[in-house]
Amino acid sequence: MSISTEQPNEVVRRSAAPPPKRRAISWTQRPGWMSQHLGTALVGAALGYWLGHWFGNYISSDYSYVANSGQNSIADTLALVMGVVGWLAGIGVLNYPLAKIAGREGKELEDVKDWTRYVRLSSDHKVVGLQYVVSVLLFFFTAGLLAMAIRTELLSPTFHMFSADTYIKIVSEHGTMMMMMASSIVVGPLGNYLVPLMIGSRRMAFPRIEAFSFWLFTAGYLVIFSALPYGGFPTGWTGYAPLANQAGPGMVSYLFGFAIIGVAMAAAGFNIAITIVNYRAPGMTWSRVPAFVWGILATAGLMTLATPSLFVAGLFGILDHTVLTTFYVAEHGGSSYLWENLFWFFGHPEVYIMALPGFGIVAELLPVFARKPLFAFKVVVAGELGVAVLSFFVWQHHIFQSGIDPSMRPLYMLTTELISIPTGFIFLVGMGTLYKAKIRFTVPMLFCFAFFFNFLIGGVSGVFQSDVPVNVTVHGGFFVLSHFHYTILGGLVFAFFGGLYYWLPLMTGLEINKKLSLIQFWTMFVFFNLTFFPMLIIGLLGQPRRVFTYARALTGLNDFASVSAFCLGASFLLFAWTLAYSLVINPKKSPLNPWDSLGLEWQTAQPVPVHNFERIPVIMTDPYHYSEEGAPKLADFGGGSSARESSVPPTDNETVLR
Amino acid sequence: MTTASSQPNFPGGTPEERESEMTTASSQTSFPRGTPEEREFEFRAHVGAMWSGSRLFIAMYTFLLASVCFAYFYLRSSNNAQLWRPHNVTAPLYYGWAIYILLLFTALMALFGQTRFRKGSVNDWQIAGWAGVLSGLVALFLQIFEFTKVPFNPGSSAYASIFIGFACVNCLTIFAGTYWLETTLARSLRIRKELGGTNPELSTAFTARSLRANVSAMTYFWGYIALSSTLFLWMFYRF
Repeated sequence: MSISTEQPNEVVRRSAAPPPKRRAISWTQRPGWMSQHLGTALVGAALGYWLGHWFGNYISSDYSYVANSGQNSIADTLALVMGVVGWLAGIGVLNYPLAKIAGREGKELEDVKDWTRYVRLSSDHKVVGLQYVVSVLLFFFTAGLLAMAIRTELLSPTFHMFSADTYIKIVSEHGTMMMMMASSIVVGPLGNYLVPLMIGSRRMAFPRIEAFSFWLFTAGYLVIFSALPYGGFPTGWTGYAPLANQAGPGMVSYLFGFAIIGVAMAAAGFNIAITIVNYRAPGMTWSRVPAFVWGILATAGLMTLATPSLFVAGLFGILDHTVLTTFYVAEHGGSSYLWENLFWFFGHPEVYIMALPGFGIVAELLPVFARKPLFAFKVVVAGELGVAVLSFFVWQHHIFQSGIDPSMRPLYMLTTELISIPTGFIFLVGMGTLYKAKIRFTVPMLFCFAFFFNFLIGGVSGVFQSDVPVNVTVHGGFFVLSHFHYTILGGLVFAFFGGLYYWLPLMTGLEINKKLSLIQFWTMFVFFNLTFFPMLIIGLLGQPRRVFTYARALTGLNDFASVSAFCLGASFLLFAWTLAYSLVINPKKSPLNPWDSLGLEWQTAQPVPVHNFERIPVIMTDPYHYSEEGAPKLADFGGGSSARESSVPPTDNETVLR
Repeated sequence: MTTASSQPNFPGGTPEERESEMTTASSQTSFPRGTPEEREFEFRAHVGAMWSGSRLFIAMYTFLLASVCFAYFYLRSSNNAQLWRPHNVTAPLYYGWAIYILLLFTALMALFGQTRFRKGSVNDWQIAGWAGVLSGLVALFLQIFEFTKVPFNPGSSAYASIFIGFACVNCLTIFAGTYWLETTLARSLRIRKELGGTNPELSTAFTARSLRANVSAMTYFWGYIALSSTLFLWMFYRF
């Protein structure tokens, strides 16, 4: 299809005729404080919480979940539900669905131009992306503080800072918050911000669903955080019954928080998947879709299809706590294995929801800094899709120890081992791209190398855990704990940080201080490995996780891991300082396309205009033709905004680029 | 090229142009300064998003309902403590049938309405649609009211628990379907005013085409509800 570059007729006509009447902006979205924003959301949440709690006590004042405990789960649940409704109403999410009942379309959203748009409902995917950046970092640092508490407790096997009960609740809160955060850490910030730019679209398919998913995600953070003042929950992030059924009101926060995070994830995945399928620019065939977008598409598919079972599992758990159903109580006809199956049917795809975006980031960044085309592009796509599909068929390896029919074990052992094959594709493609490359050792590239290093350890330590005998041996210990920290923190979070360093100049128009970011990388990489590698040994020596005491002989290794963990925590503080220094204290304008990337997202103006591209680009080829003589031009921008074409002269190494 | 001076009787352009401008802006499907080709391109993407979005939504909902089905058959086959369904107690059959028939009726009304809508019969679409909304609301009321009429406590058996869980999900399903139907109808009424009397059923304006895509997607979802309700009727009331 061809896109005309002529100015639209309307522009000419409007110059002579009276301008068409602009639709009114709702008072709720106008600049100033007399509108809807984070403050009104907080007020709405507080009012909703109070109202729900009052109503719950009103209808069930003589009810207590545990006899004589004074615990009224109905009031607690209604308080949380109404609190979330109040939060969404306060920020303005409900305006549009309510207006539609009367057949009206929603009022325009993005009229606010100053910084306050970041604390309001916005239909601009770039604003939502940056909102997500701040939110996931808040999630990350909150859960990270809890990790510091865990490592402090483990400094000594005999001297305790916390009681055993408090310790397990800290572990549970840490694990749950980290898993919630990690499930959105790339799709939320980078997926929302970059996908439309990378596919040549001016918008998301369903921007209001996108905004809804973000504000529900933040509500999920508040709900799961509320578990702490409610007394916590003792189940770990997996929330197994029957312990979950015996737990206090903090468990309701866990169940409800996880359920609404599931809805937020499904909504985000739904919107992004539909955007990629339908809003690709002309010429953006599937073979030209960037590897990062493929990774996000595979992840979005998983988010959309896997999270409903989490929602159902959470709903059943809440019903057990409130109306005394017995889904997970074997003595009354239920089954604790029902939770395990429903949870892990979501939980194992969840693992790849966390891994796939990391693969996508690395595959996107490697060619830029290797100055070579991405090796075997289709194999990357096959790997990402293969992992996504297979991830639905492996969940029972999580319950090898819990009572699965032994005859079923080999099947799930095999499917789990199979998934290492498409994962291996990503490594092979990475190595193929780096082979004989003139590598630029920039900070984002260093994070890519760290990703491969860490994920290799995480992958190798994981693949044989699918073998039943090994699984039986290492299950529930620090070996498994170290394995998944290597894959999630060492893989996904390192890739995310690399992606942030790479794309922040595009997002903010500012340069990130190189010296600080380099120091931050090395401290993070070194202390990450010094923290978690000893844990592999600790685990093989038999230390169980979620237990606050251990054999005295393991004190040295534990102390070493703890001190390294504190240093790792300090490296994250250094990251916060790096951002504060580069973006606020000493901001320096970033050069256009500082990495000489061929990615479409870098070819638009900087800062990125509200509608991304002045003219919809027509895509000519894929964005990986680095150092190729006579390579076709990436896209025809129709005389519109291309940073390369309209704003700056060709870079010094333009010939190398092509 | 059309200029304002050549259209003195139509400030802002001809009715067709006004229609195109207004509907583009109001439906927010396109960049306001886009060329006509760009606006058409983005509009087609928007219609495609409606089509694929409704299918993906159904896929997502299938996983939700499949989780309920899994729980049902898992607990049934486990039959822990012989408490799957003691004394073969079931939820009230007449409520189940009533809800099912109402949902089937709503789905048929949506389908009939859509068929007539495509042919430009405004009244048939409106009457069938509002009858469907009414039927959906009654079904929702009955589903909620049934909670007070079940002959068991929620924790008395595995069947009782899963029925309560299913009924909650079904309330959500009926509400979602009815809301979609109602908002589509309300939109079609309002569009007629916006289009200045042009029939949305036959108009080529962006908003009207968007509405037709929406009606199609909504009808598809109601067909899905009818189908899944048949399965759940069999599971919970007859099986």
